[in-house]
Amino acid sequence: MSLAQRGRRITLVGLVLLAGVYVRALAYTPMERFQGPAQKIFYLHVPAAWSAMLAMGLVGLSSVLYLLLRDARFDRFAAASAEVGTTFSLVMLTTGPIWAKPIWGTWWTWDARLTLTLFLFFLFLGYLLLRSAVAEPGLRARYSAVLGICGLVLLPFIHLSVYLFRTLHPQPIVLKPSSPSLPGDMLITLLLSFAVFTVLYVGFVTQRYALSLEREAQGSGDVGRA
Amino acid sequence: MGDLLAQAWIVARKDLVLEFRTRTALLSAVVFTALVLTVFNFGRDPTAVATIDLAPSILWVTFTFAAMLALNRAFQLELENGALEGLLASPLSRVSLYWGKGVANLAFVAVVEAVGLPLFVLFFDVPVGSVLLPLIGVIALATVGFVAVGTLFSAMVIRTRFAELMLPVLLLPFLIPPLVGAVQVTARLLASRPLSESVGYLKLLAAYDIVFVSLASVLFRFTVDE
Amino acid sequence: MPDVPQNAGYMVAAYIVTAVILLVYAVSLSRRANRP
Repeated sequence: MSLAQRGRRITLVGLVLLAGVYVRALAYTPMERFQGPAQKIFYLHVPAAWSAMLAMGLVGLSSVLYLLLRDARFDRFAAASAEVGTTFSLVMLTTGPIWAKPIWGTWWTWDARLTLTLFLFFLFLGYLLLRSAVAEPGLRARYSAVLGICGLVLLPFIHLSVYLFRTLHPQPIVLKPSSPSLPGDMLITLLLSFAVFTVLYVGFVTQRYALSLEREAQGSGDVGRA
Repeated sequence: MGDLLAQAWIVARKDLVLEFRTRTALLSAVVFTALVLTVFNFGRDPTAVATIDLAPSILWVTFTFAAMLALNRAFQLELENGALEGLLASPLSRVSLYWGKGVANLAFVAVVEAVGLPLFVLFFDVPVGSVLLPLIGVIALATVGFVAVGTLFSAMVIRTRFAELMLPVLLLPFLIPPLVGAVQVTARLLASRPLSESVGYLKLLAAYDIVFVSLASVLFRFTVDE
Repeated sequence: MPDVPQNAGYMVAAYIVTAVILLVYAVSLSRRANRP
């Protein structure tokens, strides 16, 4: 089985399992009394955040390894992880405000979570844009690696800036989302969702990696296109 | 270490001599800063919001744009004069090259800020008298942050398509933490708050500078070497 | 005891949007693989 086929298979499994999580979350998980049904967005938003963070972390790690070892496989992997990370960030960025509106009364707020989400998205986009703007593969790999590492190092500073900024400003919180300790059923749903999003990450990255290989073999490369 | 600084100074001096010989870029940047400040004046309603509340943001958005201009022209000189090749062929260490470029950029931005600050005080009637020294300190801290990452990125974007667009897109997310720190400290200084209230932000600025100057020093060679 | 908020609409919207994003991306990956 080729890498592309294996990737497709994993993704398919992930999507089917996702449907399972949907059913479980919507029909078989108790509703949170104070937040109402909207709280269930939590089961998608948080695992998506996890996948996006994982993607970014691996972009950073892969970038370091590429610069140290100059193995093209790390560059390919970083590119794949970045594109997949962008997708999960998009899920975060859409589910975040949709969840915020009924709970906090506003579509957007510059709190730590949403702000970090936005930055993650910008960093991924910047990474992909940089890649599409450099023609020569070696140069592209080096530049992307530099950006990837800087991006990863930036994240804690963004978090810190927002934290400092927000501690002095009152939050527009009407209801507090996600209590720290979850009742059994909810926890299981969340964990299942984490697992499914991880499977999807693996499937997507495998497919994207295989796509890079295919393009390189055909000599067309990744220039000017994602 | 002494060697490093000596080499860096050679690079910086060469750049600065070139810069002051033509002066076009410098003058343009200064005029640009004055114009931005003017635009800000017309872009607000003095009866709706007190100037003093907006002042820190106005100052720092202006300085951010000025820094971006400065960085953009940083490597243009190299490309135009073909001097980059010569520099790379020389036994100059890449770290010295980065520090040299950084210092030159810093000097450029410092001149622009030195003109911009008095203009800002004049246009918006801002009481800086008693806090001038701490204010200059904050400006210095934040500018070092801008220039540290900016010098690294401008070295990269030079060889990309749409370099003028690419630099802001890649750089702006990285300028947010120093910007947040700078605006918050400036606001507190102008409101005559005790310095102790700004300690968190000052630490953020200092930490950012140390981390990114170090990181960029290490990563710089990957942007110019094979 | 306050009433349970009637915000199921948001929940549905979020679940649909997520599914759309993930499915569109999966399809995009497959199609790009087949195109030379």
